[in-house]
Amino acid sequence: MSRSTQVIITGILLALLVLFYQGLWGDPKHIPTVLIGTSAPEFQGPDVESGELISLSQFHGKVIVLNFWASWCQECKTEHENLLRLHARFRNHPDFVMLGVNYQDEPEAARTYLRLYGSSFRHVRDIKGTVAIDYGVYGVPETFVIDREGIIRYKWVGPLVGEIFTHFTQQVLLPLLNSRQSTPT
Amino acid sequence: MRILMFIVFVSLVAAGPTGATVVDETAIDVQTREIAKTLRCTVCQTENLWESGAPLAHQMREVIRERLRQGQTPEEIRAYFLSRYGEYILMEPPKRGINWFIWIGPFLLLSLGGYLLYRELRRWVTPPPSEEGHPPPLDEASQKRIEQELRSRV
Repeated sequence: MSRSTQVIITGILLALLVLFYQGLWGDPKHIPTVLIGTSAPEFQGPDVESGELISLSQFHGKVIVLNFWASWCQECKTEHENLLRLHARFRNHPDFVMLGVNYQDEPEAARTYLRLYGSSFRHVRDIKGTVAIDYGVYGVPETFVIDREGIIRYKWVGPLVGEIFTHFTQQVLLPLLNSRQSTPT
Repeated sequence: MRILMFIVFVSLVAAGPTGATVVDETAIDVQTREIAKTLRCTVCQTENLWESGAPLAHQMREVIRERLRQGQTPEEIRAYFLSRYGEYILMEPPKRGINWFIWIGPFLLLSLGGYLLYRELRRWVTPPPSEEGHPPPLDEASQKRIEQELRSRV
């Protein structure tokens, strides 16, 4: 067998191994979402605290940060303070909205969590998990940014901490908020 | 008696199901299973939606069931999941682009292995040249010695 044939066969074998590895054990966190650049799916659900119905469409024209979380999720606890910090920084911006989506959770457990860790923005209960499936959620926490036209611009799988949080604030959210003058409400 | 039978018949017909409105749960269950088997559980990775016990897989099965009840076709339901999770959700990667490697890879490897095995086996069963009736050519000294021996016997 010539040397070039051996190189080709080794190359094919390695490519196959990489593909099989990716397929079987690849981390879905690193799979790019197909939802970027598409319209954010509409949803409606009860507020975790008040039970009042909240729908995404009522915030049309705003830049929305949508965070999927659950009280049983450890990583959600690590990012919670950052979420509160983010909300505190932009809450006075007329085009900024932050919404939590409580996923696969017991209502009382969710309320206890919010009382314990603090809450300054509203949270919708995803009772049957359909909102999460509509947003292609793999697991919590996941955070989406929706622009004023209702298009999903960004998604992060995992907690918003450290450099990711800085990147999220400075490179993703701020440019979107500054991209146009605020719309009159 | 005839009147009684007529009343019973009319009551049964009136109380019976009207074919168009009845949802055949068994058919929906079968279809749900067939669709769920082709979709991957996104949190357990190597299991399909039907076999997985993960809460997300359970919710996804419910979504399939609900969409079937609404009259969607299996193709429409698969397209919905594909639009949300991308090709990762499919248990079988679509036959295009680099995915062809996965589809033809095992056959390529099998063919290559078969060829190498054939070559090796052939080498094993082929007798060495000396046993095949084609002796190696004699060197000059041996040739001379044979000729001398033959001449001395004549």
